[in-house]
Amino acid sequence: MNAPAPPFARFAFSFLLIAALPCALAASATPAGAATPAAKPAAKPAAATPAASAAAAAPPCEACHGAHGEGMAAAHVPRISGQSADYLKKQLDDYAAGTRDNPIMANFAKALSEQQRAKFAARYAAMSARYIPQVKPPIAVHLARGHQLAFQGDEAKRVQACNACHGPDGVGVPHAAPYLAGQSAEFLASALKAFKDGTRKNDAGELMRSVAERLDDADIAAVTGYFASVDLSTH
Amino acid sequence: MAQRLKEVDVVVIGVGMVGSIVAKELAAAGYKVVGLERGQTRFTVPEFQSPAVHDELRFDIRKALMQDNTREPVTFRNQGAQVALPVRRWESFLPGTGLGGSMVHWNGQTYRFQATDFQLATQTRERYGKNFLDPDVTIQDWGVTYDDLEPHYDRFEYLLGTSGKAGNIKGRIQAGGDPHESPRSRDYPTPPQKEHFQGAMFRKAAGSLGYHPFPQPSSNLSQPYTNPEGVKLNACVFCGFCERYACEHYAKSVPQTVILPVLLANPNFELRTGCQVQRINLDSTKKHATGVTYIDAVGRVFEQPASLVITSTFAINNIRMLLLSGIGKPYDPATGHGVVGRNYAYQTMSTVASFFDEDVIVNPFMASGASGTLVNDFAGDNFDHSGLGFIGGAYIGAVNTNGRPIQYHPVPPGTPAWGKGWKQAVVKHYNHTVMFSCHGSSVSQRQNYCDLDPTYRDAWGQPVLRITFDFPPNDIKMAAYVTAKAVEIGKAMGAKQVVGSPRKGPYTVTQYQTTHNTGGTVMGDDPKTSVVNRYLQSWDVPNVFVIGASNYPQNATWNPTGTLGALTYWAIDALKNKYLKSPGRLVSA
Repeated sequence: MNAPAPPFARFAFSFLLIAALPCALAASATPAGAATPAAKPAAKPAAATPAASAAAAAPPCEACHGAHGEGMAAAHVPRISGQSADYLKKQLDDYAAGTRDNPIMANFAKALSEQQRAKFAARYAAMSARYIPQVKPPIAVHLARGHQLAFQGDEAKRVQACNACHGPDGVGVPHAAPYLAGQSAEFLASALKAFKDGTRKNDAGELMRSVAERLDDADIAAVTGYFASVDLSTH
Repeated sequence: MAQRLKEVDVVVIGVGMVGSIVAKELAAAGYKVVGLERGQTRFTVPEFQSPAVHDELRFDIRKALMQDNTREPVTFRNQGAQVALPVRRWESFLPGTGLGGSMVHWNGQTYRFQATDFQLATQTRERYGKNFLDPDVTIQDWGVTYDDLEPHYDRFEYLLGTSGKAGNIKGRIQAGGDPHESPRSRDYPTPPQKEHFQGAMFRKAAGSLGYHPFPQPSSNLSQPYTNPEGVKLNACVFCGFCERYACEHYAKSVPQTVILPVLLANPNFELRTGCQVQRINLDSTKKHATGVTYIDAVGRVFEQPASLVITSTFAINNIRMLLLSGIGKPYDPATGHGVVGRNYAYQTMSTVASFFDEDVIVNPFMASGASGTLVNDFAGDNFDHSGLGFIGGAYIGAVNTNGRPIQYHPVPPGTPAWGKGWKQAVVKHYNHTVMFSCHGSSVSQRQNYCDLDPTYRDAWGQPVLRITFDFPPNDIKMAAYVTAKAVEIGKAMGAKQVVGSPRKGPYTVTQYQTTHNTGGTVMGDDPKTSVVNRYLQSWDVPNVFVIGASNYPQNATWNPTGTLGALTYWAIDALKNKYLKSPGRLVSA
């Protein structure tokens, strides 16, 4: 069920490292909490330059997460547009503190002051990117299984409905749980696997680990494919 | 004409918490067990899932999980001279129905009683003298001791995964726990739940007055837990929908989340739902049960023969089952003779509301059913009652379980009961009020009892249960005393206004208090004053066991479920190791 990462993903990662690292270094050179000029809207959603201050513009995030926070589905880069600011801030804090493990994001997050992390979180929370359909939508039977897990859960596996915490059809519950609707299936699958492996453990009460450990690869593909297929603009 | 089915070893009436545990143990020991449940099969998925399960109108107001009282009501009166009327809307107490029983909608508050509770009559006589009590009070010893039950309390708590902090491990007082508790053999299986803000305020104030606050023991779990049956539970998310609701998260310990998966996988067990047991059948000697007669959901009548019958229904329904079956002599309050229906008791609940200014924000909705903080300094016999004229006590705690919009709106006295003034007061006080409960004991008393109603019948044509109950003067005095202590704690929190509402009579069935109905089939050492012996075996019909809070000779300060779990394992131990090896009386009368 689970396709190996496409070559594009590797390309995306190397691109990201080249483009983003200088920026991260620049950011780390900025004293934490130093006064920075008010953020201006980025004129051009291009790769960041070392001169760009982390707080002045979003380019370091844009390089992967897109100008409007739409993410880069195939590269497992999540959509963050319109995601709850509390959630985004917590993830940045966790990357910085090392409780969520991702070498690229950790580099960025550590380079940012707490204030800057809050600012980026708020910026993306306020965005609204268009829905991007999946390149390869799931087949009907997988959609049906995904829908079942989303809305109802599975008693035999003792898994409750995703929507119980993530809101009706995975729209998210601000402060508490991120949206899943319209999210990259690839990203969601890698997040579930990270919870399942225990390499991601920043979930309160082990709530996601408890669920993920009971899902097999077929379920993960089905439920992530389902949520990626939900276009909130049509709701 | 009843269709006679193939005989089995054991019939269990009611597949709630007790029924599930008993059936699981006996099926695992190799016996053929049939479980008869009047309600429907239901599981966490799909029946308990949101958003449907968070429907306050359906579950809180319309009581969707409760016994169907259009078909099977109880009747109620305060005094023997009154005519009892049917209760058609559950309010005061909420008996559940369906697979998993009433535990499905519990709050998860998992207490032990204290050693003195099990010898209450002896303790009272020895400490306060023979004539201390009103002669109408009929408290008695249980026939078991705390030490008998300790291993079984432990087993039950480890089945549930209860989250708490021990206060006394093998006689050593533990900081942060309840120093008044009787010694436990080890700590709780999981650490306490996170304390909510009201609990934190209470802890500080109660501590400043020299009391001993501790976290409420909770079976809404603080962390994932795999119990000794191999069933795994999740951590609670503090959604504030425990009592009156089922848990969607596999985080509240109920039969579905702790034992049913194991029971239902055992081929020695057969579950039949939609089965309304009419009676336990006796042979011509009336001293031996031959099985039960039940009516299924489409009206067919069956006789299920069995060597052993265990009635494990909700407390008041256990009483009715014995009365309908002619097991044990019905109690007569005029003479004081008879035992079935005797010593019906309840719980004496009072509240204290502490109103603050708008800068104190309590977020009452961030709670579980048992995430509060409390003190036992005025519970049970933990304080000297000399000169007070009552026995018993209450725990005082900031144990508020929710801030649900339809039911939860604390307002100070003098607020209009409806309209604009009421709405403004709700907005003003909703998020700035700390609620305490005083959860009090209930003595049994000669005039309080249950029998079969002479007038009203259920949908199957059988007499319904009649409850005759009013608060004994002992408990009204107790409530006044303890509530005044709770008001002092509210004042020590610095509240702008503290309003104590001590419980007053007469008892009403039209206002929710608690679902802790006890007594009526009480346990004890003397067949003249008890229905079952210390192993919960019927004195009259030794192959019938009765297990429920109906066994309590009177109710102690605390929520009854923990003790019921301990009694269940205690009875199973006697069944497996004594009765089933050599069926017969376990205690000679």
